[in-house]
Amino acid sequence: MQATKDSFYVELRNRLVTVDPQRTITLDGAARPAIVVAENEPPNAAPPLCDAFYLHWGGARSALPSSGTLMEMECAISYRTKGTDQNGNLDRGRDLASLDNDVLAICAPPQAVKCDYSTGAAVPLGSTIFWTQPVFSALVNAPPYIGREITVSVFFYPEVNQT
Amino acid sequence: MPETDDPINMIPGRHLAARRGADAFIRALGGGQITLRIADPSAGDTNSQLGITPPTASDVQIAPAAVQPLPATPESARCIQVMVSARGLQPIADSYGVTDIPGWLLGSQGVLYRGQLMPIKSVLSSSFAGADYLYLLIATK
Repeated sequence: MQATKDSFYVELRNRLVTVDPQRTITLDGAARPAIVVAENEPPNAAPPLCDAFYLHWGGARSALPSSGTLMEMECAISYRTKGTDQNGNLDRGRDLASLDNDVLAICAPPQAVKCDYSTGAAVPLGSTIFWTQPVFSALVNAPPYIGREITVSVFFYPEVNQT
Repeated sequence: MPETDDPINMIPGRHLAARRGADAFIRALGGGQITLRIADPSAGDTNSQLGITPPTASDVQIAPAAVQPLPATPESARCIQVMVSARGLQPIADSYGVTDIPGWLLGSQGVLYRGQLMPIKSVLSSSFAGADYLYLLIATK
């Protein structure tokens, strides 16, 4: 299951670098693409950064209970923005649309090679993961921020001896 | 220049009086110190992003500081309130290149209290004349 989470994140991160190389954040003193797995970050009270994608993993279950071992796991990707001060924050909607475009772009095509990253290097596991089209939530208006969450179901085959 | 053209609230550096006052107040409460655990800058590589490489951290002593235990809550068995003067904290924050001190404190790993690392849940800053003079931290375990 961990390999699925890691492979999904790395694939989306690499795509974001290609799709929108300017979308970066500085987190824990390091500049990086603006996509973060919430459960991989320190559990502190710092609020989530603006203009960044946060992956939150949810429940997992058998996709086809009657046959096969295919599993699906929920992933929510949340993001928010407050626009830019130069524009009086009136561009919040446009910034959110830009984030929407980026997340749509990085979710396609909806598949990736599954790799094991536990050793510190990407070791292909000989299978792929794939996921559904993103489902966009309603806009969340929490002044000065607006944001939303998208959800996808990621499908994978659990590996034997996989950590 | 008439005397009325230089009102008392325009004296330059008047915020320093509040800073010195807060500092003296905390010293009068005992003048203890608190240890703040700050995560070192991340390597920013894939392993750190995947949570495989644990971040290193540095312990920073902040003085003067006054610690007051608070009643336990349903969410946390131990809760403390830490009062720190801006005069004691500002030089340390400056050495880290920090401009947003409350955000920096919230982003830290927490404070060490009686051998336990307690994450900081909230930071209240009091300011006068445009400058902070006191920080109130709530940390829970």
